Amino acid sequence: MKIDRRCFLSLAGGLVAGHLLSPVPWKVTDDLSIWTQNWPWTPVPETGPVTWKNTTCTMCPGGCGIKVRIIKDRVIKIEGREDHPVNRGSLCPLGYASIQYLYGPSRVKSPMKRIGERGSGNYEPITWEEAITEVSGKLGDLRKSGKSHTVACISGSDKGTIPHLFKRFLEAYGSPNFIRTPSAKDAHETAAYLAQGKKAQNVGFDLENAGYIVSFGCGLLDGCGSPGYQFSSYSRFDKDHTLVQVEPRLSNTAAKAKKWMPAKPGTDGALALGMAHVIIKKGLYNRNFIENHSFGFEDWTDDDGNIHMGFKGLVKGYTPSMVSEITGLAAGQIESLATDFARAQHPVAVCGYNECTVSSDIDKTLAVHALNALVGNINQPGGMIVFSDPEYNLPEVEKDQIASDGTAKPRADRAGTAEYPQTRYLLNMLPETIMGANGNDLPIEALLVTDANPVYTMEDNETAQEAFARIPFIVNFSSFMDETAQFADIILPDHHFLEGFRDVPAPDGVGKPVTSLSAPVVKPLYNTRNTGDVIISIAKSLGGTIDASFPWNNYEAFLKQAYNDQYTDLSRSGYVVSADKPAPWESAFANERGKYEFYPTMRHTAGNDDKSKLPDFRQVDIPGDKTNDALVLIPYKSPRIASGAIANPPFMTKTIDADMLKHERLFIQVNPETAGKLNLKQGDAAVVKTPSGEATVLVDLFEGIMPGIIAMPAGLGHTAYSKFIAGKGVNVNALLKPVFDPTFGLNKAWGIRASLQKA
Amino acid sequence: MQKIPSHTKARHYGMVIDLDKCTGCATCMVACYSENNVSFRDDESVKLLSINWIQVYKLTNGKPFPDTEVCYLPQPCMQCDGKDFGHPPCVSVCPAVATDFDSPTGIVSQITTRCFGCRYCMAACPYHSRKFNWWDPVWPADMQNYLSPDVSPRMRGVIEKCTFCYHRFQQARQKAYAEGNPEDIGEDDYQTACTQACPSGAITFGDLDDPAHEVYKLKNNRYAFRLLERLGTNPSVYYLSTRKWVHRACDNYLENEEPAAFANKQA
Amino acid sequence: MSTQTENTSNAPSNEPSPKKGATGWVIFAFFVIGFGFSLLGGWVGFPKMLYTEVPHPIDFNHALHMNLVYDGCNSCHYFREDGSFSGSPTLNECRDCHGFVMGINENEEKFVEEYVLQDKEVPWNIFSKQPDCVYFSHAPHVNGAEMDCAACHGDIGDSESLRSYQENRLTGYSRDIWGWNMSRLGEPEHAPRMKMMDCVNCHVEETDSQGSCFQCHK
Repeated sequence: MKIDRRCFLSLAGGLVAGHLLSPVPWKVTDDLSIWTQNWPWTPVPETGPVTWKNTTCTMCPGGCGIKVRIIKDRVIKIEGREDHPVNRGSLCPLGYASIQYLYGPSRVKSPMKRIGERGSGNYEPITWEEAITEVSGKLGDLRKSGKSHTVACISGSDKGTIPHLFKRFLEAYGSPNFIRTPSAKDAHETAAYLAQGKKAQNVGFDLENAGYIVSFGCGLLDGCGSPGYQFSSYSRFDKDHTLVQVEPRLSNTAAKAKKWMPAKPGTDGALALGMAHVIIKKGLYNRNFIENHSFGFEDWTDDDGNIHMGFKGLVKGYTPSMVSEITGLAAGQIESLATDFARAQHPVAVCGYNECTVSSDIDKTLAVHALNALVGNINQPGGMIVFSDPEYNLPEVEKDQIASDGTAKPRADRAGTAEYPQTRYLLNMLPETIMGANGNDLPIEALLVTDANPVYTMEDNETAQEAFARIPFIVNFSSFMDETAQFADIILPDHHFLEGFRDVPAPDGVGKPVTSLSAPVVKPLYNTRNTGDVIISIAKSLGGTIDASFPWNNYEAFLKQAYNDQYTDLSRSGYVVSADKPAPWESAFANERGKYEFYPTMRHTAGNDDKSKLPDFRQVDIPGDKTNDALVLIPYKSPRIASGAIANPPFMTKTIDADMLKHERLFIQVNPETAGKLNLKQGDAAVVKTPSGEATVLVDLFEGIMPGIIAMPAGLGHTAYSKFIAGKGVNVNALLKPVFDPTFGLNKAWGIRASLQKA
Repeated sequence: MQKIPSHTKARHYGMVIDLDKCTGCATCMVACYSENNVSFRDDESVKLLSINWIQVYKLTNGKPFPDTEVCYLPQPCMQCDGKDFGHPPCVSVCPAVATDFDSPTGIVSQITTRCFGCRYCMAACPYHSRKFNWWDPVWPADMQNYLSPDVSPRMRGVIEKCTFCYHRFQQARQKAYAEGNPEDIGEDDYQTACTQACPSGAITFGDLDDPAHEVYKLKNNRYAFRLLERLGTNPSVYYLSTRKWVHRACDNYLENEEPAAFANKQA
Repeated sequence: MSTQTENTSNAPSNEPSPKKGATGWVIFAFFVIGFGFSLLGGWVGFPKMLYTEVPHPIDFNHALHMNLVYDGCNSCHYFREDGSFSGSPTLNECRDCHGFVMGINENEEKFVEEYVLQDKEVPWNIFSKQPDCVYFSHAPHVNGAEMDCAACHGDIGDSESLRSYQENRLTGYSRDIWGWNMSRLGEPEHAPRMKMMDCVNCHVEETDSQGSCFQCHK
């Protein structure tokens, strides 16, 4: 038998033929295709029963109700809660994207202790017991050495039980330094106090019932204030609703407004007075309110027989033609705006709230409040609503001598001192005070930071960072590795809001007294603790009267006692709306006359003349040299960029337009006319310089911005969190600088002078 | 395109977006990412590489300050019907039958596991609605935990696009079956994630052929129009705007030609 | 080889012009060997290579449970309120009866000790598990088409012991999907096959349409 090449060929042929008649080729092809469609690294999300749980979003002070879709302890999606009185189904992108914070890379997963240089980001995990011992040890030492007043707390809010616990802690411990981060609330509550006599009031606007809204620069549709509330109110607007937006830049709000009135920046106060002039001249004001519930409208005589100028006298000079000169708007436009406003159903003038710059101009705010008073739309449907915080049912704080002495000391931020007696919080003053002190006698020796990211959000950012670097001991309660957490010596991470309890009273700018409850929808993923529990633990380990002031085992017990009878409702439906109507005019005003004071007699002023008491228009001299810095830089808010204490989650950064961010470079909006003069074209790299700092940006030619003004979005230029936001763009706060009001100490700056040059 | 099953009622889902109402807040985009397991990367600023099932574009009227106007244009997949209710441009070119016209709903399907990434459909789509996965998606830290089991996560090398949240239609139908009325899928039972999320109420979704649905009324509004309508792609997404310049920006008009809504007005 | 050929031809021989190389039947024999080898390997060896037996975490007696419940399969494999199907019961559902060892048999003991008491879900082998891109809803089939569970899942409900589970080494899915018979001819052995064409064939028969892509894919 001979075996040759052909035998092997035949064998191969047989093998192939047999193979083709076997299942191998077809089955392997089929299986391989299935294999390639199911790579092991492509995740296969697990299925299971779907449950929905209601809670409240706390990513911003907006207080929106949300419903959370859960599959087997996994949070799949967040949506707006239709039956929630604040947002009525609407929700902003940050709310939707907040699941990315729950599972994201910037979570602080356990208590941390700094081991490297400050800001180096080197931390080691420690146990809760170690962390609490360390913090209470440090605080105990300070207290023993008589320095209890050098402990401060910076909080993003002063409402709700968590800030309340911090205030209570400082009171029992012996420090006056509870500091709320600057916000438009500063101006509103101060103005409401001056005109109406009650301190610490919430000022909201009933946008859902308003018929004619004049917004003085409020980013109502740009993601400020309570976006859910504002958007849901806007979604119900029909052709009978009017929104007028006053600002120098065509923002999203301006683009959606029936009328955009591009007044020169910083002249809103004059416009409000001009409108008042027309309304009074034409007799379109609410006579009942003016005659029976207001004071200082007409000229008045005091007990000593001195005649004072009233509001009417003040606005007499603000004729449309004069206001036209100040604002750059046509006189006829001003006149018709005032007339339409006063004649409309439920007109409301809105300001301050929702601006992204924290400009707290008391005069402007008083002037805008006065517009609402003129048309009698205070505490009325569709008007400006003023209400108090819920009262907590809690025992008195027990104070020993150290506590009494410490709390009696002047505040480190100078708020409430003889200098600024009518202001409650002045965080912007703090860096200056710290930098001015010598190293052995620092006004702040220990700092607790909760719900705030001041190292990022404070204007004149470089100075603020230097000041924070001087504070010897910083404790941060943030859930995320933000810029302030990177400065901290100890991080005591709070739960993500989907993991813990917290009450959310008085959402920003919302025209009704709603208190919501944020309740856990999933078990805590990491070794985090509710900040309330941590404060109680620290108080307990300090012992003495501090311990005695905190007779609760945990935060939940405290929360239940604070809300008392209301807690059942709160936990059952997730919110409570105070049943009372806003205080009627008869009882709304708590000053001695019981009236709305157009002439705020209480107002702390440098001089005692009428014009400084009245909300006269005073041009704010923003920082910078008029000749060298020919342009004015204003920050703007974009609904696609979270600009507060929380940075953008990846989903939101993904939505940022190509004309706002290109790789790591930020675009600055410039009017083509201005750009032409500077010889700049679309996409050119340019250096923007202000008295605070400089940055390289790209030029975006935008017709919708007033010539001479340049604008940068707020909320970028982070250095912390994760690679999905860090290193993108420029932190506009590093280019801005506050201008302090001489009698209130609040920041009045609405922008800063700047120059722009081709890079 | 497949035959409609004998027991199934034919529907024609579509969307009407009121551009005068849209504020450009991008909530629809984020809600869509979350609903549909859309991936993200650390640099998303190059929009040609960015995966979005609905994208909000910014239009300006080009007039100088202060006559400038801005309009935002949310653009999902147009779910084109083609000339004969069944042949959208992308479906015609797909060599893999990875994309098809879903006759029972009028939605253009995309089966990513079937797609082999030739990107013909991307080229054929006049609306840039189709996005290619140039990289394998990565969900850092514990983010895989939020992925929804209703939509399959994609892999590198495939095309993805808006599906009008088809899985929500499936869920509605499943519920209808469970309740014993398989054809009873009401307007509220099936809404896309973007429609539901739009905080301004600018998006309306429903059966374009059902007179009981809001979209039926809205698509017949005088100011309703569709993107590049004269290409004959027959999109199922309509837009509303009373502003002429917006109509002009959404199609190619000759200089002296008036958009349909405004031409009729003069006649 | 060439050398040998030369040797052969040069050698004195009586045979007339000998043929070079192998004869036809030898070549054919090689073909048959190759053919047989492939055929045998493909039909017998290949399935053994492709599939691997995966033991069940614990054995389960469906028949025993069927006698104890009121509502047949629905008692444990039920529809949720939203119309979705629960699939395999979770530990919580089993716990109602099996909170502690009842001492029925060693499987029960293993189940309670290794899973219930340790709060660990049982990693059941799912015979009908499909890839992630497949969308399947029980509701239209059970409620709409009024199909019986056994129509797709076979008579597992009457079994006293779990039958053999083989996993495809390439895809990771059960052998049941393709069917145990590699040829896919004839009646399926245990339960109806579940490849896409199996779905399509039934749909064409019952609804006059194979359905659209999205009907079954996500």
